[in-house]
Amino acid sequence: MNGHPIRPEDFDLYALGVLEGQEKAAIESHVPTCPECAKKLAEARGRIALLAFSAPRLEPSPTAREQLMRQVRASAESPEVQRAQRKPDRAGGFFGRWWAAAVLVPACILLLFVAGRLRNENERLSRDLAQEQATLQQRQKQLDEARHAQALLESKDTVSVALAQQPGMPKGDVRVMYNSKMGMAMCDGWVEPAPANKSYQLWLVPREGKPISAGMIEGGPINPWMVKLPQGMAAKAFAVTLEPAGGMPQPTGPMVLVGPIT
Amino acid sequence: MSGQTGTELRASDAALIQKIVQRDESALAALYDRYASLLSSLLNRILRDTQAAEEILQDVFFQLWMNAAQFDPARGSLPGWLTVIARNRAISRLRRHSPSDGEELLETMVIVPANLENTIAQQQLLGRVKGALENLSTEQRAAIELAYFEGLTHSEIASRTGDPLGTVKTRIRTAVESLKRNLLL
Repeated sequence: MNGHPIRPEDFDLYALGVLEGQEKAAIESHVPTCPECAKKLAEARGRIALLAFSAPRLEPSPTAREQLMRQVRASAESPEVQRAQRKPDRAGGFFGRWWAAAVLVPACILLLFVAGRLRNENERLSRDLAQEQATLQQRQKQLDEARHAQALLESKDTVSVALAQQPGMPKGDVRVMYNSKMGMAMCDGWVEPAPANKSYQLWLVPREGKPISAGMIEGGPINPWMVKLPQGMAAKAFAVTLEPAGGMPQPTGPMVLVGPIT
Repeated sequence: MSGQTGTELRASDAALIQKIVQRDESALAALYDRYASLLSSLLNRILRDTQAAEEILQDVFFQLWMNAAQFDPARGSLPGWLTVIARNRAISRLRRHSPSDGEELLETMVIVPANLENTIAQQQLLGRVKGALENLSTEQRAAIELAYFEGLTHSEIASRTGDPLGTVKTRIRTAVESLKRNLLL
């Protein structure tokens, strides 16, 4: 350990989050005081962060980006703040007069006091405003999702795809509402709980090319969810496969349910 | 390939961060376009809830917007920092931990041993990570996934799988060493 109370491999295990008790406490008490170990921990965090790449690729909806940028614009600092800054007075002689100092010094102290109070009040109001904006953003997001769901269900281009159980596979009854033009799908129904260390994964099967992951399905009743898919895709089916826990970038397991898009 | 050097590519994230400090919204949008897909995939894998994943995704980038001045690109990698923050918040939500668990990460340094600032580099790394995971045994991979995507500790994994604690510790330690070896890190 060369004077450092941490085994080299423990940095990765700490970054992974599996350490507990004394092993975890040893790192947390030593690293803040040791730049060498802090760097080793930073490198371990970076290595472990690469595991994020093993998650099945799932693009965020365009709505998420729009909402972020709306939130950013709403929080943008007012340019008035910069204009409020004043240049220093260069008339040095003025401050040489004792009576001016006698008046101005207490006035400046008073102004600083008032400015401090106003700044605190402004910060409090800013925090309140940010909270209100966050709530508003959240409600706007829910409203957008409800509108998307309504548009999907009302569109004449939306098709209902019933996925049928495959012989010898776990039981399930899953339905996907799919609109190729909108690039949206909504899934509901139920499926038997998956075996240990396995997950169900929903796929859109294009007429050409590789299947596209449309999300993971928990066993039991499915809480309906919407998923964004490529727009205008010529697809022939939806399918559910049984994959290692957490899913795969491409299907590897047996097909549990399948339904053709007609 | 873009022809840019590693230094120029690192500077690219750094330059965008600097523009965010100057309140340039387009710089934030550029970083979002660069890394949102990676974070969205991670968050959906952890939470299995598209709405919750997008809430955290938005929250992480908004935190970057609000605190960009505190992020020092010279001390670490932006995608690494974003990934660590996103995972921490998702695991906190999944396990009903206090959201404040993630706040200290503003000071967290993350050094990613690869350049992730363009799509090609991300695709290449994706292939390497997938290959390294495929080299693990089924039990090793399951244990790593329980730790990384569900935030379980050694003893929690032992409890979940029914395996002895010592077996789980050895399995994870060996798996991590294998990943480091196969990723050439």
